[in-house]
Amino acid sequence: MQKYTASFLGKDCPGVVATVSRLLGEAGCNIVEVSQTILAGQFAAIFAVQAPDGLQPVTLRLQLCEGLQAAGVDLSVLVRPATDEHWSGGSDCEPFVISVDGPDQPGLIALMSRVFARHRINIESLKAILGEGGEHHALFVFEVQVPESIDLGRLRRELTCEAQSRSLRVSVQHRDIFEAVHRVSPT
Amino acid sequence: MLSEREVTSILNMLRNEHLDVRTITLGVSLFDCVSHDLDLFIGNVQAKLRRYAAQLVHVCNEVGDRYGIPVVNKRISVSPIAVVGAPFGPDGMVRICCALDAAAQEAGVDFLGGFTALVEKGFTCGDRALIEALPEALSQTERICSSINVASSRSGINMDAVALMGEQIRRTAQATADRGGIGCAKLVVFANIPQDVPFMAGAYLGVGEPDVVINVGVSGPGVVRKAIDRAVAAGHNNRGGRLTLLDLAEVIKRTAYKVTRVGEIIGGEVARRLGIPFGVADLSLAPTPAVGDSVGEIFQSLGLSSIGAPGSTAVLAMLNDAVKKGGAFASSSVGGLSGAFIPVSEDSSIEAAATSGLLSLEKLEAMTSVCSVGLDMIAIPGDTPATSIAGLIADEMAIGMINHKTTAVRVIPVPGKGVGEAVSFGGLLGKAAIMSVPQGDASAFIGFGGRIPAPIHSLKN
Repeated sequence: MQKYTASFLGKDCPGVVATVSRLLGEAGCNIVEVSQTILAGQFAAIFAVQAPDGLQPVTLRLQLCEGLQAAGVDLSVLVRPATDEHWSGGSDCEPFVISVDGPDQPGLIALMSRVFARHRINIESLKAILGEGGEHHALFVFEVQVPESIDLGRLRRELTCEAQSRSLRVSVQHRDIFEAVHRVSPT
Repeated sequence: MLSEREVTSILNMLRNEHLDVRTITLGVSLFDCVSHDLDLFIGNVQAKLRRYAAQLVHVCNEVGDRYGIPVVNKRISVSPIAVVGAPFGPDGMVRICCALDAAAQEAGVDFLGGFTALVEKGFTCGDRALIEALPEALSQTERICSSINVASSRSGINMDAVALMGEQIRRTAQATADRGGIGCAKLVVFANIPQDVPFMAGAYLGVGEPDVVINVGVSGPGVVRKAIDRAVAAGHNNRGGRLTLLDLAEVIKRTAYKVTRVGEIIGGEVARRLGIPFGVADLSLAPTPAVGDSVGEIFQSLGLSSIGAPGSTAVLAMLNDAVKKGGAFASSSVGGLSGAFIPVSEDSSIEAAATSGLLSLEKLEAMTSVCSVGLDMIAIPGDTPATSIAGLIADEMAIGMINHKTTAVRVIPVPGKGVGEAVSFGGLLGKAAIMSVPQGDASAFIGFGGRIPAPIHSLKN
């Protein structure tokens, strides 16, 4: 068996997941992990699958595209060999939540993520919440992995400096505080 | 992945609702510092405090930064000085107090508590020396807090100590007359004092406590108030039914849980980094003079025109209980006072109610039967007789003794000022109108002295 990731993007409608999973099953693939979301009416999903020996990514993609067309489902498909290797940054990392908020304007994500890239900080999840704090207000929540070797004070200063240049506020908090406050766990 | 609500609610608590860790208090036992030689004792104390407290402020700031939640105050509590300094007289006690003040300054903490005597059943030589030293000791120092436990449910009330404290509070106010009697803001008289309080001015490290320990005091009246406001604004409970006090008690409890979790995670990490055991999380709604960080405002959110209005004692009882329940669920190490404070000068809303006459000393006394502490930060006329102050203390001690709870008195007889005037202490201690003390003479009662016996522990009605 070999492991592939198959990604799907297109208009959301009831039955999309049923069609995609049926087609993967018909191709002999076993689904081992899925992440799916809907954004602006668009369905997006990544399926990690174990595919039968000899089934090439290009062949699997072709089968999926034909099946979707036959089912009348309009999705783009990409199939790639998967790897179990995760980005580690070359050192142990800790999970942090970095929130940036203020007046919405183009270039905010690029501005902050440039700082992350400079410090080898990996973004694991990014969420934009628009309009909740008033019209034209934006809140971006980055869940990131921060290498332990990083000087947190320096990172905070750099982020604050970039944020203030655009009238934004930034907060940097270890993820554990969110878990501790909001979630009840037995340990 | 965190939900949108999980992230935004913490950001709101921090930015708009004054969420913080109010204090991390390093408890240091001084029992291994004792000596019959005063210089040697002071040297031992300073060396031990230096050893354990040198990194306290730095580590608290570092951990606060890591979680994005400020640790507002860093403090130290020590073993009761009347016990560890028992061989020394009043002059020696003043020197010890000054040495502790210098050590607190060196460590960068704002207060050090433990200039303490435990006299609920009687005095030792050290107790008498410490109490005699209070006016001079508190006038010569900036950061030292003193607590005197004069009563307990097991021992009764030491009325000789009550009478003596009435006089010493007057003398301490006189000794700090140039600063509005501020010495009394650092002096508390207790019944049933807990051994592990992280909050000042009552913090000290009890004799059953570890050699060193980290206790954390979390607050958050602003967070509780906003949670109540949101529930009231929604107009219904989470099942769509009519919003009642039962629902609001649940809101307070859940909010107290969240705030306590913040304190526990931060206190625990500070303790780990310092290599010191974690003691307790004390969730006490402790206000500051800042608007939005007030316990008094919670009374308004719960439907009273002001704290002091009829219903205030019931509101405080519900608030105090819900806070304890939330805190107890959040941490297995809840201790200290854990409840709601009602310090008049330190809370802008309570201070306003006292100034306008909506809140009287008598009503405050009634409320102390259900709050977590007692008559706190109350300015009274400077010419209040010592026996009347002793009478106030005796009343408050009786409430604590009979109800098996901590009660305390921290009153400031402001020299040269009377009812209708005000005093400002600045900073966290705030400002207060001078409140009138009930008329009548307690001198003959106080003059009897002796001890009010401990109450019966059965036949409770």
